[in-house]
Amino acid sequence: MTQTLEKAPAEITAEFFAAYRKHDVPAMADLCADNADFHYLPVEIWGKQRVVRGDGKVHGIGRVIWNGLITAFPDLSNEVTSLSTATNGTVVAEVTLSGTQATPWGVIASKGQQFTLPHLFVLHMNADGLIDSVTAYWDNASFYRQLGHAEVD
Amino acid sequence: MTGSPGTPASVADDFVTALQEGDLDGAFGAVSPAAEVVIHPTGQAGGPAIAREFFREALTAFPDLMLTVTRRTACGNGRVLIELSLEGTQAADFLGAINQEKHLDIEQAWLFTTADGVITAITGYWDQNKLYRRLAVKRLDRIAIA
Repeated sequence: MTQTLEKAPAEITAEFFAAYRKHDVPAMADLCADNADFHYLPVEIWGKQRVVRGDGKVHGIGRVIWNGLITAFPDLSNEVTSLSTATNGTVVAEVTLSGTQATPWGVIASKGQQFTLPHLFVLHMNADGLIDSVTAYWDNASFYRQLGHAEVD
Repeated sequence: MTGSPGTPASVADDFVTALQEGDLDGAFGAVSPAAEVVIHPTGQAGGPAIAREFFREALTAFPDLMLTVTRRTACGNGRVLIELSLEGTQAADFLGAINQEKHLDIEQAWLFTTADGVITAITGYWDQNKLYRRLAVKRLDRIAIA
């Protein structure tokens, strides 16, 4: 279904990643619908009792992960390297995230290492021009190696 | 999920359908010899032979390989994103993970660029760490190949 929005999905996506570069998580969240879905597929933390996955809502686990990343990597930045839009309000964005670790991130103790990591984001905009779904892919093996962490878990 | 013949969506669909049938020649018949391929999790970049070898190894290592498309997004610039789950039971070493007969299920995103009914670029994204976890690899510095 073709959508007509006040702002083009590409423009909303650009605003989203600009807010991310400014570490403005409230602004990122404001671009998302109240019930926006969040799927960070590589996030899978195996504990003794349960597995925590990066699946949920933007205004729940999404904000937690974004704030956590910004805390662990105070110079966290991103560069949008390609952006493609579909007529149904979906945007496919290739984005390179980079940063220097300052505090532990999950099971990874800080060794002050830098990372640069290609990501693929799939954002969907609803009819109100709000992001109602965020999906992201990246390679944690590369991420872990760059941070000096050799264990899979 | 099948688009009109010759559209970017149908070209990408045909590629995946051929892979689902284990038909590498069929899949890569619509890939330009000059296609630019980047497979981020394996750190490879180059021509279509890289992607062909990846899928050849996957089909060999997982004889019951199943590719299930979860979403297809056709963009206006000739690009098509195919999100899929790759599942199978390991029967041979794969990407440096020795065969422990584990079940693999991994979400992947394949971004195709098409022009005039031909695939001109393929970029793959997934979490290799999750793949290793599924295949019972414990440490990233103890895989057989980088």
